[in-house]
Amino acid sequence: MEMQTENGSERVVLKVEKLRIHYATPQGDVIAVSDISFNLYEGETLGLVGESGCGKSTTAYGILQLVQPPGYIVNGSIEVDGTEVLDLSEEELRKFRWTGLSLIPQGAMNSLNPTMRVKDQIIDVIESHEGKQESKEAMRDRIYELFQNVGLPNRIYNMYPHELSGGMKQRVCIAMGVALHPTVVIADEATSALDVVVQRIVAQTLVKVKDEIGVSLIVIGHDMGLLAQIVDRIAVMYAGKMVEIAPVENIYAEPLHPYTRLLIDSIPSIKERKPLKITEGITHDPRNPPSGCIFRLRCPFAWEHCVEVEPEPIDAEHKHEVACHLYDERFEERRANAFATFANS
Amino acid sequence: MGAFSINYLVRRLLVFFLTLWVAATLIFIIPRLAPGDPISAMVARLSQQAGFVENADKIIEGWKERFGLNDPVYVQYLRFMTGLLGGDLGYSMARFPSTVTELVGRALPWTIGLVGIATFIFFTVGNLCGALLAWNRTPRMVKVLIPMSMIFTSIPPLLAGLLLSYIFAFLLKWFPQTYSYGFGVQPGLTLDFIANVIHHGTLPAMAIVLVTFGYWALGMRGMMVTIEGEDYMILAQAKGLKPFYVLYRYMIRNAILPQMTALAVSIGTLVNGVVLVEVIFNYNGMGTLIVTALREQDFGLIQGTSFILIVTSAFAVLIIDLCYPLIDPRISLEGR
Repeated sequence: MEMQTENGSERVVLKVEKLRIHYATPQGDVIAVSDISFNLYEGETLGLVGESGCGKSTTAYGILQLVQPPGYIVNGSIEVDGTEVLDLSEEELRKFRWTGLSLIPQGAMNSLNPTMRVKDQIIDVIESHEGKQESKEAMRDRIYELFQNVGLPNRIYNMYPHELSGGMKQRVCIAMGVALHPTVVIADEATSALDVVVQRIVAQTLVKVKDEIGVSLIVIGHDMGLLAQIVDRIAVMYAGKMVEIAPVENIYAEPLHPYTRLLIDSIPSIKERKPLKITEGITHDPRNPPSGCIFRLRCPFAWEHCVEVEPEPIDAEHKHEVACHLYDERFEERRANAFATFANS
Repeated sequence: MGAFSINYLVRRLLVFFLTLWVAATLIFIIPRLAPGDPISAMVARLSQQAGFVENADKIIEGWKERFGLNDPVYVQYLRFMTGLLGGDLGYSMARFPSTVTELVGRALPWTIGLVGIATFIFFTVGNLCGALLAWNRTPRMVKVLIPMSMIFTSIPPLLAGLLLSYIFAFLLKWFPQTYSYGFGVQPGLTLDFIANVIHHGTLPAMAIVLVTFGYWALGMRGMMVTIEGEDYMILAQAKGLKPFYVLYRYMIRNAILPQMTALAVSIGTLVNGVVLVEVIFNYNGMGTLIVTALREQDFGLIQGTSFILIVTSAFAVLIIDLCYPLIDPRISLEGR
């Protein structure tokens, strides 16, 4: 797999602003996604990473308008190619789905209807958006082409999902996801349930199809190593906040946010054993987040200012934002000292 | 779609015939374990009616000879089994000149019709109600009304029958109270006769439907809720499919599978309920025939009717079994 180039288009296809999603519980709302904002550029692949429960999947489902109760969107704006998704009526949203935003689901194992043939599950999405197709042959050829794009043999056309392997089901989901050439495709842990060999092949397929069809892609995952190979930019989430979003070269070479640093330092290597740098244990109560910075309880650099003021995203470079007070010009000195001590320890 | 194989078909048919053989044998043995014998009982009844029967002992002996009850048990058993194979279920002892086959032949079509139609209705209505209860787009009104209609589920079919009979036949006189068709109507394939049969069959069928459909609705609702949590439901929603299409092609289509299995299992129980309902409405089907046979200690008829009920139940289960691969592609009937 080759590295993606950073020089993408400047046209924003997906603009998420102040998206906030809560899960209602009897003890009060759990804040799953807390006012996150980011842009996705045309033709770009954006990786969304973070620990389990940090809200990365919830963000994706929020963008897709698929947050399942008791979850609900509190506020925010999601614009796809100028269309405000949150303002769509039910029928408009139904029509917008899959043509504007499509999903390659987590756990493709169970994401196909067991009582429908593979072809029928692709045909149904085409026909519910483009109407009944006259020619059966044309439809078949169109699906064959999709199969070819993702490296599936034509013989699975008439098969049922239980007759396919896990990797094949995942490819069916990819083929299905791009069938209508949507503006944005969201792949939710699309490779998590597969073994490493199949993971690599499926990830390659994903990138290849994305380039061929020319869609923008959001890949959600927690495998930083795998993501590094397929994405253009990485967005790091922590406890419902987006702490850093940066081109993939920058983030591995020089991570800015303390959390990203610890995360990158913790990537296991086959050559040496490394301790997990991030303090283990319980984070804060998601119903009552701490004041100021969300990461301050586990941050080695936190000081009084972090308790008092919540950090806003700061533009560090082009397409690179970080939400940390250390990058505030006022605290430049503190940053230099903090990193020096940290490096020595 | 699972493929049929001759191998599986043969094995499934063997099981079917084995069931019939075991059933026939039990039916042969059990009445013979009971105290008393039908001929003495009949003669005793006659003497009660007439006050005295001349040469009672001789009559009993003669009839025992006639029915072969003096032969060793294994001879009786062989005769019984060969008779069954030829479709000969012997004579009714209480209504001597009539054969059991004749009596059953007259009653069976009515019961099959009644049970078939009732099953079709309660299975369809029950599953539909269950599906609507679980669907998130069902109007609130419907979600309130369906559970209210299910209050009859816990009462026995016999009571439901009496209740319906009292209200609709006795008080309102909308439907006739007894029998499968009016006495003035000539049986035949005429519109008149068919309308009459439906008119007569409505109450018994309703009694069965009323007490059963709630059970199916609850089962279906549970299945639907499970299906709603499946991964493919989220994908169906994300795909922007039409809601009604998702309901029947993704939800009902998958939720109905365990219901079909449950239907096959419940056919035996269903027949029990039907017997009582038939008696209440004096419906001239198998249920009424069985009860008459029991009351008259008519061994031949008890054996015959029980056997035929077992055959039809086993046959229904066989059909559902063989149809299963057609509705669930994951099940195939290939030899395993």
